[in-house]
Amino acid sequence: MFAQGILRSARAGLLAGGVATGLLAAALTSPALAQETIKIGAPLALTGGLADEGHKQDVVWKMWVEKINAAGGIQVGDKKLKVELIEYDYQSEGQRASQLAEKLINDDKVQFLFSPFGSGHTKIVAGVGERYQVPTIACVASSESVYDQTLKYLFGTLSPNGGMTTAMVKFFKEKFPKTKSIAVLGRDDVFPKSMAEGIAKAAEAGGLTIAYKELYPVGTMDHAAALSSIKAAKPDWIYITGYTQDLILARKQMQDLGVTAPIVTMVTGPSYKEFTDGLGPLANGISSSSWWHHLTSYEGQGMWPTTAAFYEDFKARTKGDPDYVHGSCAAAGEVIVDALARAGSLDKAKVRDAIAATDIQTFYGPIKFGPNGMNLSRELPIIQVQDQAIKVLAPAAIKNADMIAMP
Amino acid sequence: MAIYLQILSNGLMLGALYACLAVGFSLVWGVLNVINMLHGSFIILGGYLTFFAWHLYGIHPVVMLPLVAALMFALGFALQKLVINRVVSAPVLTTLTLTFGLDMILYNAMTYWFTATPRRITLDLGAVHLGSIVLPVDRLVGTGLALAMTLLLYAVMRGSSIGRAIVAVRMDRSAAELMGIRTDRIYAITFGIGALMAGVAGVVFATVFPITTNVTGIWLGKAFVVCVVGGLGSVPGALVGGLVLGLVESFAGHWFGPQQAITAGFVLMLVLLLTRPTGLVGVRGYE
Repeated sequence: MFAQGILRSARAGLLAGGVATGLLAAALTSPALAQETIKIGAPLALTGGLADEGHKQDVVWKMWVEKINAAGGIQVGDKKLKVELIEYDYQSEGQRASQLAEKLINDDKVQFLFSPFGSGHTKIVAGVGERYQVPTIACVASSESVYDQTLKYLFGTLSPNGGMTTAMVKFFKEKFPKTKSIAVLGRDDVFPKSMAEGIAKAAEAGGLTIAYKELYPVGTMDHAAALSSIKAAKPDWIYITGYTQDLILARKQMQDLGVTAPIVTMVTGPSYKEFTDGLGPLANGISSSSWWHHLTSYEGQGMWPTTAAFYEDFKARTKGDPDYVHGSCAAAGEVIVDALARAGSLDKAKVRDAIAATDIQTFYGPIKFGPNGMNLSRELPIIQVQDQAIKVLAPAAIKNADMIAMP
Repeated sequence: MAIYLQILSNGLMLGALYACLAVGFSLVWGVLNVINMLHGSFIILGGYLTFFAWHLYGIHPVVMLPLVAALMFALGFALQKLVINRVVSAPVLTTLTLTFGLDMILYNAMTYWFTATPRRITLDLGAVHLGSIVLPVDRLVGTGLALAMTLLLYAVMRGSSIGRAIVAVRMDRSAAELMGIRTDRIYAITFGIGALMAGVAGVVFATVFPITTNVTGIWLGKAFVVCVVGGLGSVPGALVGGLVLGLVESFAGHWFGPQQAITAGFVLMLVLLLTRPTGLVGVRGYE
């Protein structure tokens, strides 16, 4: 009897507590309060192996948020809402990125996710966004395999990798008609591997012979064996993919072992300033391709009406030059601004459909998503290091130098 | 034939660098029974000290070698004396966890201060040509320094009273204490020597490899493999292990493709664990 009384009291207490909690939760998530700001969540690699890349995203997103809030916020229907960026450090651990994406959605109630650096971690975060139907904008993931998972809520501002291979083969064959063979050495990782396979396919289709094609595993700290084999194959074009530290080491060892060819391409090496800084004069002659370069001259809507305006703003803030990571990630913010203005509400499905229908011109170039959520192909810049500075070789509209053979 | 001679010389130079990298790790593991997870970060710290001295003040890496060695010894000595000695008698998992935690602090502090941007000392010294074989000068110098430091350590271990005390503690801690050896001090000196050798490896590596915190785990992994291949706790073990690993990676990279080079090193490690757990020249009881 006594026990039953206790149980009844406990049940009543729990019920009352539950009702109170429910009311409180309802009050906290009522539209009036919840929509005071637009919350964007970003799991970022601020420490660990990808810290440099994570900091690039952090810098440019903060710059964008400050700018948009100074302008009063984003127009949603008849009011302007300020943006709140919530970042967590996932320490370059993919599993943690997934947990933090869940926390951002469930605890912080973000309406959008910015995905972290790289195709691999984007795949992880996009999966979480899809589960909760939260639009996820990826600004540094270009491997088509990431977008082949039928994720309806994932959109990427980079163009497909394919745009960087076929045009390059055609361009180099025009400039160096004697080019007959290519050696490809790629890092066995999502993006570098897809680029290595993509260039081999494009080269074969363009009539070149594949003199050497191998992948090297993540963690390789010596390329001497591969480079000695490449030297023996005597290719006209050497194409190496990897992250900056791999490419610096490979270039250094090429010099040490006397391995060279009229054309040497490293992807995405010269797109990053740290590559040319790390190599000094050894960087000269190395070609590459990039999704964006600050020498391009696009015009359009958004916080920065021209590429030059973005460049000036960025330079004033960081004292450095922006690379494609900065450009693409700032453009990811512009996608949200445009979609919310057209959707006129924060309703997830409406916003998702508005993003899918994006067709805008920005300082970063045109943004229009294909059926898989990826920005459509366009002519991407082919670049080369000359006198330790980046020169644009193509497309003709923004070209500022002629291609030279490796010194 | 020429390509095989080139691959042989590539492997030997790489192997000498591996030996230099692993000798301190092997010593600490063998004498203290501490798996020092800080070792990779110590190497990179030595590399950063060398890089910034060169980059900011133009100090040549060879000049920095004794300075970095002294600083790293002091750091290692203090760390063992003040922190690790408190748990040095605990099971190996405890000390491993402690050094893992310390490594996370050091690794992230370096990433915070220096950023993970790969840096390089651009002292491109050219190459020596022996017929068709190309020997990069910086790797040759690195190999020479690595071998010299490893042999110096061997001489210290064999000929000095400190070295004999370290060997005595490694063989039997209790007996060494009964003979009047202050084991806590020997532990701190040994850990200091381990850090010193990591710092020396960092100086040598700074002229050959890009310096970035991204590779601390890679160097730590190499140290593990070298120790298992060569045998724990002895200088010759690290030397043999390093040279064998360098040669195996180099030839496997040529014959089976670079994708299999690292795998070949780990397969060798597994085979030795199964057939000769003491390593190629290790001492029984330290497997």
